[in-house]
Amino acid sequence: MARGTAAGNQLPQISNRHMREGTDMKRTMVIMTIIAAVAGGSAEAQRPEPKVVATVGGDDVYQVLPVGAIPAIDDPTFVSGAAANAQMSPGEPVLGIVLEGEARAYSLWQLDAHEIVNDEIKGTAIAATW
Amino acid sequence: MVYARTLGGNTYTFQVSGKLWRNSLIMQDRETGSSWSHVTGRAIDGKAKGAQLEKLEAIETTWGLWYEAHPDTKVLEKSEEVKASHYQDYFDDPERMGLFRAQWLNEKMPGKTLVYGVVVGAHAVAVTDAALAGDEPVQIDLGATPVVVFRAADGGVRAFIPKAGAQGAGSEMEGLAVTPVYWFAWSNFYPNTKVID
Repeated sequence: MARGTAAGNQLPQISNRHMREGTDMKRTMVIMTIIAAVAGGSAEAQRPEPKVVATVGGDDVYQVLPVGAIPAIDDPTFVSGAAANAQMSPGEPVLGIVLEGEARAYSLWQLDAHEIVNDEIKGTAIAATW
Repeated sequence: MVYARTLGGNTYTFQVSGKLWRNSLIMQDRETGSSWSHVTGRAIDGKAKGAQLEKLEAIETTWGLWYEAHPDTKVLEKSEEVKASHYQDYFDDPERMGLFRAQWLNEKMPGKTLVYGVVVGAHAVAVTDAALAGDEPVQIDLGATPVVVFRAADGGVRAFIPKAGAQGAGSEMEGLAVTPVYWFAWSNFYPNTKVID
């Protein structure tokens, strides 16, 4: 992956403190799946029975919710780190990326309700997914 | 995960399909209606079937560590206050693994173990938090490719391929995308994955 990255071109800094905090984050750093939405979310009440709509690679594809029932974000707006910091807790999990020198963060608590952000950073169209 | 959503001159916009495959999200593009796995970035049906999105080097960490490392960051604006995950109970319950049976789940480790997945060509590896807890980066031979996985100062787990002949700090490296994912899901997508635990 050659695009601008947070890893950059120098060797990583590693610290014990961060590794310890990383372990604490274990339970929150996960790939979000609709599973969780269905299993734990408010969508449960309206959820129709999952229906097998296809089989791909030997595994069934289930339709669990209507398309778009969880609304993706198509026109994201952003605030500064200082403004966000006033509303966010230090332990709040985020998805972060640096592209072309620009850093962006997406709160995963916020993405619970959207799962996909159709975004663009310096002319590169990206999808942040959770 | 973050993907580049322009491919072969086409820019896709994605919505949540409401479908699950291998217990994980299927994205649907508005342009062709094709289905894409958000774990692999590959289109599994429709006009785009077989197309592969490029996965970018995003990380998952906490806001505190991210802001400290990237004070100039921009942050997705919240339209309303959100103070917790809706799904904490799901995350905390070791027995709840998706809606459907995790077919490739095996006895290597509990299904809810968080792993960091890296793919190089036809080879996949899953690295656990425990393996990343030491002072040294984890070095893996993946097929014929050396891969280094480490937790960086901003809390994110990153991976790279050291360039041949490169020397120490400041040397060139090729970054790789890292996928933080539960073992039950990863082992479903990559049943032949190597495990570093």
